[in-house]
Amino acid sequence: MMSMTCHNLDFGTRVLDLVAVGSSSNSSIERYAVKNHGKTFATKVYGARRMVCCRQNISRTRVFSTNTSEALLNGVGQRTAPVLDLKKEAKSPISLANLFEVVADDLQTLNQNLQSIVGAENPVLMSAAEQIFGAGGKRMRPALVFLVSRATLELVGLKDLTTKHRRLAEIIEMIHTASLIHDDVLDESDLRRGRETVHQLYGTRVAILAGDFMFAQSSWYLANLENLEVIKLISQVIKDFASGEIKQASSLFDCDVKLEDYLLKSYYKTASLIAASTKGAAIFSGADRSVTEQMYEYGKNLGLSFQVVDDVLDFTQSAEQLGKPAGSDLAKGNLTAPVIFALEKEPKLREIIESEFCETGSLDEAIELVKQCGGIERAQELAKEKADIAIKSLQCLPQSDFRLGLEDMVMFNLERID
Amino acid sequence: MSAAEQIFGAGGKRMRPALVFLVSRATAELVGLKDLTTKHRRLAEIIEMIHTASLIHDDVLDESDMRRGKETVHQLYGTRVAVLAGDFMFAQSSWYLANLENLEVIKLISQVIKDFASGEIKQASSLFDCDVKLEDYLLKSYYKTASLIAASTKGAAIFSGADRSVTEQMYEYGKNLGLSFQVVDDILDFTQSAEQLGKPAGSDLAKGNLTAPVIFALEKETKLREIIESEFCETGSLDEAIELVKQCGGIERAQELAKEKADIAIKSLQCLPQSNFRLGLEDMVMFNLERID
Repeated sequence: MMSMTCHNLDFGTRVLDLVAVGSSSNSSIERYAVKNHGKTFATKVYGARRMVCCRQNISRTRVFSTNTSEALLNGVGQRTAPVLDLKKEAKSPISLANLFEVVADDLQTLNQNLQSIVGAENPVLMSAAEQIFGAGGKRMRPALVFLVSRATLELVGLKDLTTKHRRLAEIIEMIHTASLIHDDVLDESDLRRGRETVHQLYGTRVAILAGDFMFAQSSWYLANLENLEVIKLISQVIKDFASGEIKQASSLFDCDVKLEDYLLKSYYKTASLIAASTKGAAIFSGADRSVTEQMYEYGKNLGLSFQVVDDVLDFTQSAEQLGKPAGSDLAKGNLTAPVIFALEKEPKLREIIESEFCETGSLDEAIELVKQCGGIERAQELAKEKADIAIKSLQCLPQSDFRLGLEDMVMFNLERID
Repeated sequence: MSAAEQIFGAGGKRMRPALVFLVSRATAELVGLKDLTTKHRRLAEIIEMIHTASLIHDDVLDESDMRRGKETVHQLYGTRVAVLAGDFMFAQSSWYLANLENLEVIKLISQVIKDFASGEIKQASSLFDCDVKLEDYLLKSYYKTASLIAASTKGAAIFSGADRSVTEQMYEYGKNLGLSFQVVDDILDFTQSAEQLGKPAGSDLAKGNLTAPVIFALEKETKLREIIESEFCETGSLDEAIELVKQCGGIERAQELAKEKADIAIKSLQCLPQSNFRLGLEDMVMFNLERID
């Protein structure tokens, strides 16, 4: 693997500029923000003097690798982690850049298509969409679609991805993005991935409209895929999203919440979409039922593992790394795995939570208690447990770079909490 | 659930489901169906859920406090619940739709949901724009209102197993009824009192949403353009504008437009056998027009 420094620094920044400029006619603010964003990351990655990605053609992988570098720093959730642990990097053979590289072209095409789909309608919407499309999204879900598609292609003798595969990936990313936009309105969040949220910048109205528009667009494209099984699969996801939000909203500060409730909520909010992505990809490859079901299990358990890791990081990372205040789940009364485990040990924690943190410093106290009770460790075990199931589900696939990529995805997620 | 009741219980006329049932029964005869199928019924429910979801979101987008004389969902429960309730209903209807397993209807209704969003965007980006043409207005009205109604009536015919020419006529019926309905609504916004409307009068104009009466009046009265472009910054300018619209015959021309679309709708019913249901569909058109006689 080559190690490149200054060259990439400039290129990386330029590429981000290109992505922003190419897509927007009137969002100078975004262009500025993206430029600076890019510079910050480039400095951090390249400043660390280790480029963990380039094996092949520079121009081909560049758009992608910039994002993936961000991803290395961001983690697989929507967070920014400016501190790159070099030693760890040197040890680990896995990098998001590597595993995304095998589908880099696919992802680049996706980005272009997404911009034109959303941008076609209206400049304001486009700016809003870019705010979030451009805000360091790693395109993890589309990457999964592409990886599963390619991994299953071999099984059935298909030569290349079909239009339907690509369209599925676009639909998935649109749904994901739409849900983020609405989530931020629902959570009244001001920051996502270190940047202002759509509704903070443009107001609630535009945020709702942008979210509705994207849900609508994805429903329409979905219908035009003309595959009833996939249509039902994805419609179930959209329903699950809404159910998950409601479940969460109605059990805030409820200390009687069980682990099963939490896992169900996490399934609705996160794993459902990922499971539908991976299963859908296998369906479009024409894989048989046992394989599509295994791909579903892979996606579901990866998704659950992913959510648990995110929830752990909310306790262990700093605000800077997270791109938003730390402990924000707990602060809102959203009790996640670490808390649920800690509650089993520490009754004082229950009191504090039920007081809804009315006393100053009580949130910090609660966070400390969670850490002291081993809530973090048990949550880490849970994440690993789900990760194992995910890896096992891959056994039906022939060995390939793509299958490796899928395994790496699971491992990379876990590394965020090692 | 309370949120949904607030709006489901708020005097909605269930016009759209009624249309689905009327068309279903009117076309059932054509093809020899004995009774409505489960799919017909489910279609009607889906349509009403989509309509309701769009109202909930619309009220958030318009920052409206009143609908049908009652407080809006978001006024009572907050924006968060309104967004959530709307999303949930859209999601539920998408899921039921998918489980109808009819690709043509799935595509039809998905197009509607896309049209809703497009219509909102179109409206939001042309507020106070006095260069708006009648075609823009009709397109926006199609997106926001007629598209759903057209999909309802066509969908009902599809589930009756009617042939393509009939389903297309049912689409035309729904589309023109929808457009006529929207034009009438827009007229009433000028001619009715706040009490009758269940919300403040002239509210479309106040927000810069220029509807048929205004568009017609703008062709005649340049002063109106000035007032609108000032975005009613001066007190009393909104009332002045409403007066001007009335004086310029904007209302009358809009009434003609409503009748024009209503005629096309009635004509589209000719492919149906005479029956009480076909009469019901005709009456629907006439009832709408009577609101402005």
